[in-house]
Amino acid sequence: MEQAFDISEREGTAAPVVSVSGEIDVATAPSLRNRLQARVAGGDTTVVVDLAHVSFLDSTALGVLVGALKRCREAGGDLRLVITEPRILKVFEITGLTEVFSIHPTVDEALEAPPR
Amino acid sequence: MTEMPATEMPATRFPKEIAPWDVIELTIPVRTDLVVLARLTAATLASRVGFDVEEIEDLRLAVEELCLSLVRNGDDGRLRLRYTREGDDGIAIACTFEAAPGRGLRELPVDDLSIRILDALVDEHGRSSEGGHKRAWLRKRRSRTVA
Repeated sequence: MEQAFDISEREGTAAPVVSVSGEIDVATAPSLRNRLQARVAGGDTTVVVDLAHVSFLDSTALGVLVGALKRCREAGGDLRLVITEPRILKVFEITGLTEVFSIHPTVDEALEAPPR
Repeated sequence: MTEMPATEMPATRFPKEIAPWDVIELTIPVRTDLVVLARLTAATLASRVGFDVEEIEDLRLAVEELCLSLVRNGDDGRLRLRYTREGDDGIAIACTFEAAPGRGLRELPVDDLSIRILDALVDEHGRSSEGGHKRAWLRKRRSRTVA
């Protein structure tokens, strides 16, 4: 059974961690967009998005992440991704977005990554 | 954003006659929370044809992008999907957007990301207009050989 879509946020680390689970598609991507926009609007310039528990991701989700990355970089920060599932990483690879995003295998590595 | 060239879906290359149960049709209202039905149907049929797990996941994403290439937020109407089993190892999916009465069709550029995804995941894909409806299609064959 597919894991239900959910977003949770964690603070108190070097950058806030937004963890997503389930499927990010045309129906659920707007929720992620709102959460990430709120983060940047609230003054967080660098955000870690943990996609380790995401089972599906489409172009709408990619668009949301690209938009958030742009806002973070315009504010002088970065949007770092945690991806562990090969099939999720594949979507970034075939769209050429592995060259755009800072992608890491664990949250700890994403938090410790040097600025790009 | 890139305009995808209008192309007609080529005739099937599989000579085997298609039995009636090899065609499945699904019609859904244009609602973001219902596109999942197009994915679920694609996954189920791909499994019946013998696609492996990775190929099923590829087709799930491809059919999502097919639907997204036809509609945008605010569109009102129906998506009509036709899944056709082609021979022993392939599936063709055609998706037609039928706008609600009184709602005109908007010709929309297709997102670059959608095109890249479809290019990578299916053997063929294209778009056309037919009878006042927008239509997109794809074709994917199983890569592995079943003993």
